[in-house]
Amino acid sequence: MNMRFVAGVALALIIPALAYAGAAQKPVLDAYAAQAKSEQASFAGFSAERGKAFFLAKHDASAETPSCTTCHTNDPTKSGQTRAGKDLAPMAVSKTPDRFTDAEKVEKWFTRNCQSVVGRPCTAQEKGDFITFMASL
Amino acid sequence: MMPRILAALGMIATVMGMAFLVMGPVASATPAPDPTYVKECSACHIAYPAQFLPKRSWDRILGSLDKHFGENATLSSKSLTSIKAYLEGHAADSADANPRILRDVAATQIPARITEMPFWTHIHGRLLARHAFDAPKVKSASNCTACHRGAANGHFGDDD
Repeated sequence: MNMRFVAGVALALIIPALAYAGAAQKPVLDAYAAQAKSEQASFAGFSAERGKAFFLAKHDASAETPSCTTCHTNDPTKSGQTRAGKDLAPMAVSKTPDRFTDAEKVEKWFTRNCQSVVGRPCTAQEKGDFITFMASL
Repeated sequence: MMPRILAALGMIATVMGMAFLVMGPVASATPAPDPTYVKECSACHIAYPAQFLPKRSWDRILGSLDKHFGENATLSSKSLTSIKAYLEGHAADSADANPRILRDVAATQIPARITEMPFWTHIHGRLLARHAFDAPKVKSASNCTACHRGAANGHFGDDD
């Protein structure tokens, strides 16, 4: 098999994957967008930048989990580790494509982790920003 | 050749025998866990064997999932009902549990965690004293799998 053919096949597989990065997350994001609009009239879309700041911020609501990065590390393309030592798949959609595709699972973890880390439920805007950031990596 | 094989087999049998003396059937008598329990309770840690805590401990843990060892681990009521039935049915004080698990636990005691149980501290006390669980690869005494490779499947023998 010649190298050019191999490279061609690899590109053919990679390009569509890149083009559609985040497409699988669209239904979940659309639902949060609708909710964000109803929560605040001034809602003007999600922002990966805001999501990044939120992810890296020290919320300090609890000593055990002051930040998302406590378990997920500063680099969402890397694996994280729970406090009990279990590996966590990377949050970045490019590394774990099925992240943020199961609405029920997404809501379960935002409910738990926002309460643990931020000390309150997250807004739809914060959830959408977070997913937008993870889908941008 | 033969004597060497026999000697090797003898060694293996001795080691396994010693592990059995320490752990007894505790190491293997773990019933197949409930799928809801495994799905919901093994994201952060392994699905710990139900028989490692008495019913009263599981009830307290399930009743305070909003403050679960420093994290919120709340469940849907449907999952909670099914997990509660499973844990209660196979807890340390249920019919199918190894009676040794409850040794030295007073009936009035409600152990908050497995690592408080005498059966656990008896075996792991020296490791605790040496801070063996602080090693980065272990991270926490809750991380059974760091040393017991088969822990997620209920195997806790010295050679699992």
